[in-house]
Amino acid sequence: MNKVIVMLRKAPYGSVYTAEAFRTIMGIAVFEMEICVIFMDDGVYALLKDQNPEKLDMKPLGDGFPMLKDFNVSKFVVHDESLSERGLTTDDLVLEVELANSNQIKDLMNDYGKVLPF
Amino acid sequence: MLFTVNKNSLTSNSLDSVLRIAPKGSPILLYEDGVFNAADGAKHVIKVQAALEDHSIYALEADVEARGLKKLIKGVVVISYDGFVELVEKNEVVPWL
Repeated sequence: MNKVIVMLRKAPYGSVYTAEAFRTIMGIAVFEMEICVIFMDDGVYALLKDQNPEKLDMKPLGDGFPMLKDFNVSKFVVHDESLSERGLTTDDLVLEVELANSNQIKDLMNDYGKVLPF
Repeated sequence: MLFTVNKNSLTSNSLDSVLRIAPKGSPILLYEDGVFNAADGAKHVIKVQAALEDHSIYALEADVEARGLKKLIKGVVVISYDGFVELVEKNEVVPWL
């Protein structure tokens, strides 16, 4: 099976990157590829609980990620340093994730060999 | 002069450069990804607290709510779009993009 990492590094709402990454994940999932979704830098904000963009006339982006399990996307990795320097813990996130340090993410990059950065 | 900042200082030097050159007393409005600067507990808290001694700092409510930020740094004032308009009426705007 083909394997790919989708890497989110941008905060939601300020740009289209989070939404486009999500669409890409959905698209890839249909082809039954093994997907690892990694959140680092401002990308960790995509998973914050209680997002409410009603006043921006946008749809909440965080709520979509837990639903990806229904499409057999279940490997979610969060860069620990990115999370902690933002004063956040896994309790602040909408789904259960694996925490990984920079070296572990490096290993994932080697293992998967393909990365789609957003 | 009202300085508006729309980027997170963890991934951009936008706020840092504003703080270097903004005259004392000039208000700073955080909007879009700039509201992350108002989040309590993050690495930049000390910098923002120090800035609050020289500037009023505002965060746009719609952007705070959208991003799910619940705990903000004490002293940062959350304002609505109407509050934003009032600030713009009172001050010359410097959009720090």
